[in-house]
Amino acid sequence: MLVLLSAGLTGVCLAQGADLRPPAALTAGQPTVIATSGSGEASFYLLGPGHTFRKQVHLGQEIPLGIDQVRTAGRYLAILCSANGCRSALFYVTPASPASLSFLAHPSRVPVKQLDAISGVAFPYDKFHNLVLAPVTIDFQLKSSVGDSISRPTTTQNGVAWFRANSSNQAGTAQLVAAVGDLSVRRVVQQVASDPCNLRVKGQRTAKGILVETEPVRDCSGNPVPDGTVVTFTETDPAGKSTVDMPIKQGVARAQFLAAGPAIISVASGVVMGNQLQLGGQ
Amino acid sequence: MRPHFALARISSWSALSKIFILSPVFIAFFWCGPRTVGADSMPANSLPQVQLDARNAGPRTLENLTQQNIGRHYANAWQNLAAAFEHNAPTSLSDYFVGAAREQLGQAVADQQKAGLHSRYRDQRHKVDVVFYAPEGDIVELHDSVECDFEVFEGEKSIHHEPAVLRYVVLMTPSADRWVIRQLQAVSQF
Repeated sequence: MLVLLSAGLTGVCLAQGADLRPPAALTAGQPTVIATSGSGEASFYLLGPGHTFRKQVHLGQEIPLGIDQVRTAGRYLAILCSANGCRSALFYVTPASPASLSFLAHPSRVPVKQLDAISGVAFPYDKFHNLVLAPVTIDFQLKSSVGDSISRPTTTQNGVAWFRANSSNQAGTAQLVAAVGDLSVRRVVQQVASDPCNLRVKGQRTAKGILVETEPVRDCSGNPVPDGTVVTFTETDPAGKSTVDMPIKQGVARAQFLAAGPAIISVASGVVMGNQLQLGGQ
Repeated sequence: MRPHFALARISSWSALSKIFILSPVFIAFFWCGPRTVGADSMPANSLPQVQLDARNAGPRTLENLTQQNIGRHYANAWQNLAAAFEHNAPTSLSDYFVGAAREQLGQAVADQQKAGLHSRYRDQRHKVDVVFYAPEGDIVELHDSVECDFEVFEGEKSIHHEPAVLRYVVLMTPSADRWVIRQLQAVSQF
């Protein structure tokens, strides 16, 4: 009863006798020894998650295990087979301290002023690529190009920490950083202008018809909407309606209509409507 | 009137029997608890039984279809793992293991073969809790408690046999057409 209890307390599972004594606790990459008792020759097997080997040993001597033999965290099964049969014992190797971070950041491009639009997930790993499951505080930082910065220290649970943040009001690059101790990993998030806001059009008659152009197109925070964004101009006159889609170039979009009589020009981009412009006939 | 009444009774019995027959179907269809994948009786290398519980998943909610896929692919992965260790065939790991998990398990199988050993995981019963599902749905962390019959052979001779309870922390990510295992790390307790 006492033997069973002590075996249970040390986490050792014995198939037969007590001739194999592995370490009670072991950190990845930490050399150790497994003590044996008895006399004579035996075959020793170690089955680990990343390494398995067999060797002949003298009973009663310690079996050394090097760094490479216990570098992977997990469950190790030691088996000792002699003329009297086989005995086995279990031990676990736990991860060492964090040496690298696996950091997933989303998205790479995000419109400004979006709630919870940016997220980061970080996993700490030790130098042998074992997932560190002990709680570790990871400092998530979001630094925008205009100097705004937020910092959110988060403790890992089950080997993972995550955070969410709003995108800032200003377009530009933002750096998303996950740091633990001296270790940090950086990702870049491009914050771009949101939908156009206060879309305004002006126009004038020319010899060929009507030339219309928008004022510089900006979002509601004043960020220039990127070139290439499509603006739709619609011209309505007594003869009917014509529509043209034009991309923004150097901040404005332009279009020309062949209309001689009175016309109404309207403008839209995405779901945003602009002003209407009424022009008399020539 | 009498035949009519009899017909009505027969009709109501029929409806009643349909309810009894179909009720397990409805219960099974609307059951939202842990999902089980795999067979009841399990010969060697059969699909392991996986019971997946996603009630604690977060911060993102795990949709039912995703939950079913993860459970199915996790069971397939363990079937392949068992085959790799039983037949010393590291190529069996290729379909469902990637990165560090693939390297470590592949190395373990190669080493096992070099030592003249093979090992067998039989009657696997996995109770899997989803403990983390990333905000963007690109990684999931599982805690798996496996009960199985684990045996190690040197040649044809059994040198170790135990009814094992194994615990694993698992990271899975979606690939082109399946969920794959990136990390499979045994722990003494969660």
